[in-house]
Amino acid sequence: MGLTVIKPFRTRSVLFTGALLWLTMVAPAQADEPGPERAKDLRYGWALYEYHQGNVFEALTQLAVAREQGGIEGHGDHPALVEGGLMLSWGMTREASKLFTELLGSDGAGSTLSPEVRNQAWFYLGKVFFLEGNRELAGENLERVDGEILAEANHDLFREWVYLRARVAMMSSRIEDVSKLTSLKEQLEDTDIWSLYLQYNSAVAALDAGDVATAEAELQTLIAIIQQSADSAEPEAEREGLLDRARLSLARLYLRDGRFDAALEILGDMPLNGVFADQALFDYAIAAAGQGRPDRALDALDTLSSRDLFLPWRQQVPFARAYVLEQMNKPQRALPAFRQAADLYQARIEELDIIRNRLTEESLMAQLDFTRDSDGILTDSYGRLRVQPSDFGMAEVLASETFQQALAELNELYQMQSFIAERQSRFESFRIMLETREQQRQVRIAETRRALESQLANQWQTLHEEFRETIATALAEEDAQFFMTAEQKALRDKLNEVEETLAGLPDDATTARQRETYRRMRAYFDWWIADDYGLNRWAAQKQLRELDREMQHFQAQRQRVETLMSDDGRHAELARRISASERELATLGQEVAVALSNARRILLSQVDSMLVAQQEELNGYLVASRHAQARLADQLFRRSQNPGAGDE
Amino acid sequence: MATCLNSRFPALLAALTLALTAPAFAQSNPGEEKDETAVAEQVEALKKKVIRLNRDLFILEEDLLFPANTQVAVFLSVDAGKFLKLDAVKLKVDDEIVASHLYTERQAKALERGGMQRLYVGNLKTGAHQVTAFVEGIGPDQRPYKQAASLEFEKGTGTAALEIRVEDRSSDYQPSVSIVEWE
Repeated sequence: MGLTVIKPFRTRSVLFTGALLWLTMVAPAQADEPGPERAKDLRYGWALYEYHQGNVFEALTQLAVAREQGGIEGHGDHPALVEGGLMLSWGMTREASKLFTELLGSDGAGSTLSPEVRNQAWFYLGKVFFLEGNRELAGENLERVDGEILAEANHDLFREWVYLRARVAMMSSRIEDVSKLTSLKEQLEDTDIWSLYLQYNSAVAALDAGDVATAEAELQTLIAIIQQSADSAEPEAEREGLLDRARLSLARLYLRDGRFDAALEILGDMPLNGVFADQALFDYAIAAAGQGRPDRALDALDTLSSRDLFLPWRQQVPFARAYVLEQMNKPQRALPAFRQAADLYQARIEELDIIRNRLTEESLMAQLDFTRDSDGILTDSYGRLRVQPSDFGMAEVLASETFQQALAELNELYQMQSFIAERQSRFESFRIMLETREQQRQVRIAETRRALESQLANQWQTLHEEFRETIATALAEEDAQFFMTAEQKALRDKLNEVEETLAGLPDDATTARQRETYRRMRAYFDWWIADDYGLNRWAAQKQLRELDREMQHFQAQRQRVETLMSDDGRHAELARRISASERELATLGQEVAVALSNARRILLSQVDSMLVAQQEELNGYLVASRHAQARLADQLFRRSQNPGAGDE
Repeated sequence: MATCLNSRFPALLAALTLALTAPAFAQSNPGEEKDETAVAEQVEALKKKVIRLNRDLFILEEDLLFPANTQVAVFLSVDAGKFLKLDAVKLKVDDEIVASHLYTERQAKALERGGMQRLYVGNLKTGAHQVTAFVEGIGPDQRPYKQAASLEFEKGTGTAALEIRVEDRSSDYQPSVSIVEWE
């Protein structure tokens, strides 16, 4: 596999879109929303921990878990805002857009978030859409930003916002956007770097529309402004780069119109160590040749020929060098130069044939050097991979936005594949966990059964039933004695003892007083029992009711324990979730495989198209070189047949 | 023959003109562009599914390993930076070391910026338990700093969540460590 990913979703970026959003969000001096210094919700705190480390996937997962488990409390709309920022960082622009629109309202005012924060959400959303080339959505979101508030809160962002809106207006075909563009340009100072970029893009747009005069004027103005503001506070390298680009572009306009003197003047001002030095040198050669100074042209081309790196645009050099030699009327040097050029083109065409035939993802990736750290490939603020071509023939295609996007998507798809493989390997562990859980449950069930058995529940149940029946019989028979209290029963036993004793004594005057006393006592006792019957019966019934209740409770608990022991619903539910997730993961794996195949096809097709274009161009130079060879050979042959006709 | 030669030189100029406009107008053909948009949307939809699935698996794993009635989670927050640069944390539950962590600069910064780390998640029976945290780092005056905090808590039948708080204490210019129980 060409693009190897070690850890899934560990794309670390030093500064990502979400962080920008957050950084400005955490320090709103006048904002009413709660500050983020201490998380009021553990899951949110955890999500922030991942978020601040740039672990976008983990942070998004934690926010999703929090939402699933009842949401995050105490932080208002901040979690949603953070989630939107994370989505933007992870290339989920459409989802982020949906979330922001739901959160902030399409008019940008439907949230408790401060206007500063809302502004930034719309700004970054618009910017990401702009970078993706979605002009419509970029414009829509950028228009939601409140310019006055943004200017006050963050002037740098405001300048960039004006630039982005102007670029969107520039790409529009609507008439009202022309006046809007003018008004936007006026909001930036002439020397502002954003204004300078705008000016350059404006020149390019004019040229594209066929308005060469405007393009020329724009470029001239741009060059003059940069030259005059050389001591500006903006980074010099950026200005110098833009200045060189503008000069090169203007020189090419002059070349196109055959104004070689003007082109030479512009190109002569360009530094020899600049980014565009080689291209300037080549243009210089063309201008010099056009001006009738082939010697200077040859010097420039000889310098370029000595360069090691092969760039597609430089393939013109060998032909141009031979051509200049021919223009200098040096056919004997021009002929081998054309031959050499033709051989070089032929070799390169064959080389490209081989590259095309062997073009695979592996061979393509072998041509690219990715910047990595321990967490994987590094990305820029917008998820594009940090990559350099090891073959500079790739530089052109690598620089294109579509290739960069396709490459980033391919990397993300590999990360997803890696995630799926890693998660798939966990399902076996899940099953073991479930099995262990079940085993532990069975052990607990056995222990519980032993405990239940030791309670002799059935014996208690029988006793309860017997007691109930006895009471029912006593009630039916209105057996007052049955319901006697313990005290009454003790007294009855005493009376019975007395009665028994009296029965053993002679029934005469010596015991008459005792018998009389006994009779009075027995009579009183019988009266007392009869009198207390209602009370005693109620007390016994009350006790019975309480016992019934306790027995019911006991039985219910026992039943519940039995149900719990016999019910494996939880186990079944977990098993079902495991199976469902496994199925879902397998489906996702298939979808990722299809997407990977598409992304790979698109990426390779882009490279192949580039190679075809290179081959076609090379073929043109090859044919021209061969024709020149034939022509010069013919010329030299004719000269050799007619030596007096002149020499070089 | 001469026509061919002459036709190449204007071709060079034409190529140059194209090169001027190429940076701003490099476009792939409409069919390819449609394909690329489709893949971009497909990738985004897949990302959404991946997040959802990861969420489900995360919850499933927690449900399997740490049922709600026995679950105990210990988080760490750092509201410091002035008086302590966090290096390491060790956690004991009922006299047994259950977690220890060495912090990278990135992790320490994430904590200082409001993040909370789930340092430990495990299972405990209902009843009384003791949790002790040992925090190490570079304290005031760039000296090694070590402090411990302890908490006895009653584990009920629901999930228990504790937070180890590392804070700057302005009263004596020292960091402080405490453990609090979340309701």
